[in-house]
Amino acid sequence: MKGRLCFAGVRKVYRWRGTPVRSESVKGAVLQRWLRRRRTAVQEHVALDEIDLVVAPGEAVALVGPNGSGKSTLLKLAGGILRPTSGTVEVDGRVTALIELGAGFHPEISGRENVVINGMLLGLSRREIEARLPEILDFAGIGSFVEQPVKTYSSGMYVRLGFAVAVAVEPNVLLIDEVLSVGDESFTRRCLDRLARMRQAGVTMVLVSHDLDLVSAFADRAVYLRDGRVRSVGPADSVVARYRSDVAGTTDESSECAAVPQRVLEEGRRWGTGDVQIESVELVTDAGPTRLVPTGTPCSLRIRYRAHRAVVDFVFGVAWHRTDGAHIAGHNTELDGLVPRRLDGVGEVRCTYLSLDLAPGEYMVDAAVHARDGRAYDYWREATRVRVTSGIEWPGTWAPPHRWEWSGSVWE
Amino acid sequence: MTTGPASVVRVLWRQRALIVVLVRRELNARYRASALGFLWSLLNPLLLLFVYAVVFTYIFDPRFPGGEPYPLFLFSALLPWLFFSGTVLDASITLIDNGPLLAKVMCPPEIFPAVTVASHLMHHLLALPVLVAALIIAAIAGWHPFPVTIWMLPLALAPWVLTAGGAALAVSAASARLRDLRDLVGHLLNLLFFSSPIIYSLDGLSVPSWLERPLRFNPMSSLVEVYRSVVFAGRVPEPREWLIAIAVGVVAWLVGAWVFSRFRETLVESV
Repeated sequence: MKGRLCFAGVRKVYRWRGTPVRSESVKGAVLQRWLRRRRTAVQEHVALDEIDLVVAPGEAVALVGPNGSGKSTLLKLAGGILRPTSGTVEVDGRVTALIELGAGFHPEISGRENVVINGMLLGLSRREIEARLPEILDFAGIGSFVEQPVKTYSSGMYVRLGFAVAVAVEPNVLLIDEVLSVGDESFTRRCLDRLARMRQAGVTMVLVSHDLDLVSAFADRAVYLRDGRVRSVGPADSVVARYRSDVAGTTDESSECAAVPQRVLEEGRRWGTGDVQIESVELVTDAGPTRLVPTGTPCSLRIRYRAHRAVVDFVFGVAWHRTDGAHIAGHNTELDGLVPRRLDGVGEVRCTYLSLDLAPGEYMVDAAVHARDGRAYDYWREATRVRVTSGIEWPGTWAPPHRWEWSGSVWE
Repeated sequence: MTTGPASVVRVLWRQRALIVVLVRRELNARYRASALGFLWSLLNPLLLLFVYAVVFTYIFDPRFPGGEPYPLFLFSALLPWLFFSGTVLDASITLIDNGPLLAKVMCPPEIFPAVTVASHLMHHLLALPVLVAALIIAAIAGWHPFPVTIWMLPLALAPWVLTAGGAALAVSAASARLRDLRDLVGHLLNLLFFSSPIIYSLDGLSVPSWLERPLRFNPMSSLVEVYRSVVFAGRVPEPREWLIAIAVGVVAWLVGAWVFSRFRETLVESV
C-alpha cells in the first residue's frame, strides 16, 4: 500500500570526524593510520535509538520534543537522506521532504529552470514537470520574475517557489520540517490549506513542529521524542499535553496513562446527569477524523455515546462557536424533526454537512445530549476544535461558494 | 541495495535526463552574466594558444623529435589535460557545493561527479575548433602536415573520459569526507602534469634512468601519447598503445567507482 512508513528497531549514531575506515584496502589502511594519529578517540552521538514506528497510509503523525531530541534525524531517515546505523526503515511510494524550501535552487539561473530541475530531482520527468509548471508558478505567485535568476528573488518568493514545487510532485508521503513557520502569514495560510487538502486526498504526513497548537490540529497521532528515544506515542492531544507538562517541569514520572490530561482539561466545561455519556466528538471527512479541514469539504460531526440506562426522552445537539465566543450555528435532532425512540448501550450519531462553508479560522464545537425539557444528560462545551483552512482569507464567518454575474463588458 | 561500480552505472543511467538538465544548468549558470557567453569556451583555448605560441617561439625554443611546431605540439596534449585537471578540481568541491541538494532534497550523489565530467567534456569539445583551425593554418603555411587521423579523436578521447570519470568519482566522495584532500588535489595534479609527457615528449628524453622509469610507467603517458598521435602527429597508434590506454581508462573508472561506493553511505553526513 502506497504511503506506508515503517521503522523497525532503528538506531542512528553520528560519528564525528574520524570514522574508523575499515582497512579493506591500501587506501583505507593509510587513511585509518593517518586519522588515528590526529585523534585518539572517535566521538559518537546516539541521535536515535530503539525507534519502532508504523505510520499508516493517509495518517498524519507529528514529532514533538525539545531541540536535539532526534526529530529531524527521524525525518531524514524517513526521506532516505540518511541511513540508519542499524534497524530498517521502509517507505512505500514517493516521498517528498519539505525540509528547507528552495534548498536546491541555483542562484544564477531562472526560476522556471530551477523549477524544472528541482522537479526532476524530486522524481518527475521533464514532461510531467512542464505540464505542472503553470500551477506551480501560480501557487508561488512570483509573476514576471519567472524568467529572472533566482538570486534576485526575495526570501518569500524563494520559499513559495520551493513549497510549490515540492507539493506539485504529488507525493504519497510528505515530510514537513518546520516549514510552516518560515513565510509570511498569507503564505502560511495557503500552505496550511494546501496541506489540509493533501491530507484529504490521503497523503501520509510526518510533521516536525514546535507549534503545538498546529500539531494538535493537524496530526492524528504524535510521537514525543526525547534524547533520541520515544517517550510516548498516542493521540496528538494527549501526547502534546504530556510534552507540555514535561516542558513546564510538572511531570509526574509515575503517570504513564496518556488519556489523563484530556479529562483534566474538561473541568467546568461539562455537566449533566451522566445517564447518557458522550464518549467522543470528531469531525470526520472521507479521509477519516481530522481537525484541519479545507473550507467547502463535505464532512460530518460524529458523536459516540454510551447510555448507562435505557432512555426514551433524548435530543442530540451541536453548536458551533468562533473563538471570540460568537455563536454561529446550532442544530439538534428535535429541531430537525426526529422523534426519539430508544437509546441504550453504545452507538454513534452523525450530523452531516454537504459542504462546510466556513471562513478560515478556528471553531469550537459543543455537543450535547439532553432531555426535551433541556435537562442535560451530558453537555460538553468545546468538545472539539476545528481549524478551517482556505487559500483565500475570506473575512467573516460564512464562506459560501459564490459567483459574480454582470451585463456588458465590465470585467474581462 | 547493492553498492559498487554496477550500481553507479545503474543510477547514472536512470538519472540521465536529470544529468543532461544539470549540465545545461552548469553551462548556463557559468556564462549567464558574461557578455560573450558561450564564446568563452572558444576564446579561452585561443588565448592560451596565443600565449604559448609567443612564449615558445620567441622566448624559449624547446626541441623534441617530431615536436615542430612546438606551440601546436604542446596544445594538442594540453587540451585533454585541461579537461582532465578541470574535471578533477571541480569534482573535489562538487558534492560540497551541492550539499543542500543531497541533504535536503535527497538525490543520488553519483550524478554530481558525472555532471562535472560532462560539462568539462562540453568545454573540451567547444575548444576543438580552435585546435582544428590552428592545424589547418599550420598545414597551409607549410609548418606541419595536417593529421588526417584526427577523425579517430573520439576513440582517443574515450580513455580520457573514463579516467576523468573515475578520478571525479573518487575525488568527489573522498574530499567530502577528508576536506584536506581539496588542497592536496591541486598539488597532485601539478605533479601528474609534469610527470606526463605534455610539455615534453618521451622520445629523445635524456634523464637519469631512475627518473625515466616512473615517467614511462605513468599511466597518463599512454593517454597523452594516443591523443597526440591522433590529433597532431598524424600517426595511427599501435594496437598495444590503444589497449594500454583503454585499460588505464577502465581500471581508473572501476577504482574510482569502487572508492565512491565505499564513501556513499555516509556522504550526506559529511557534506
